[in-house]
Amino acid sequence: MINETELIEQLKQGDETAFKTIVEQWKDMVYNTILGIVQNETEAEDLAQDVFIKVFEKISTFKGDSKFSTWLYRIATTTALDHLRSKKRKKRFGFLQSLGGDGDEKESIPDFHHPGISLDNKERAAVLFKAIDGLPENQKTAYTLHKLEGLSYRDVSEVLNTTVSAVESLMSRANQNLRKQLEEYYNKHYK
Amino acid sequence: MQCLDGAKRAEANPFLFTRIKARMERKANIWERTFSFISKPAIAVAIVVLVMAVNGWALLDNPGSGTNENVTADTNASELANEYNIVASVDNYDYENLTNE
Repeated sequence: MINETELIEQLKQGDETAFKTIVEQWKDMVYNTILGIVQNETEAEDLAQDVFIKVFEKISTFKGDSKFSTWLYRIATTTALDHLRSKKRKKRFGFLQSLGGDGDEKESIPDFHHPGISLDNKERAAVLFKAIDGLPENQKTAYTLHKLEGLSYRDVSEVLNTTVSAVESLMSRANQNLRKQLEEYYNKHYK
Repeated sequence: MQCLDGAKRAEANPFLFTRIKARMERKANIWERTFSFISKPAIAVAIVVLVMAVNGWALLDNPGSGTNENVTADTNASELANEYNIVASVDNYDYENLTNE
């Protein structure tokens, strides 16, 4: 089996087989990361395609200073967060347009179901994902990489280009925020 | 809070590579068509003539225009960009050497 360094060198030469091997090898990792952040399967698939196209176009800039998987995680998380930002901008613009209308903004219900969650946890996980969606970007990214991708704090710190203690602090704040949001949700809907 | 523990990794579409290839080909085709259109002799000559005409018109119409105005315009543009946090392009990220602000 061909090793990672050779694969990257071949991709730098524009080798299509190497590109296919890279896509097949890392597609689930990229898709799962993006899905955790954008929480929409169709959008996640489109964005996963974008990520691999960027990999193909930018592989010449990869110098090997970081692990290839770290580089890939960075492209995936940045692409997903950029997408969310642009969606938010469009939403804000739509809201401004609707100011002239009835202005009736409904509370959205938790409707994202991650395909990797077992059936008995499905409803609770949907509520948790809704809460994750409300986290600040860096907390959301750290939480997704750690919880959904199973990365260690050290690996998360490499992806976010920060220290392990900064990731610990991000995770602690993320947990606090999630607890608060979940309490509010359950108080509102089940009391 | 623990309901994500033990979650399985979501699987990507098995035909992801085929879709990526199709998208890359579409993208390449658009550029190919654009370049082949621009490189047609008649179109190329027309563009050159048009650019020269616009330049000539700009020179004749406003012969004394100094560089100060351009400097002011550039400064205004960069001030506007800074004010609205406009980043040049997403594609300019250096994914390997991220800097935290």
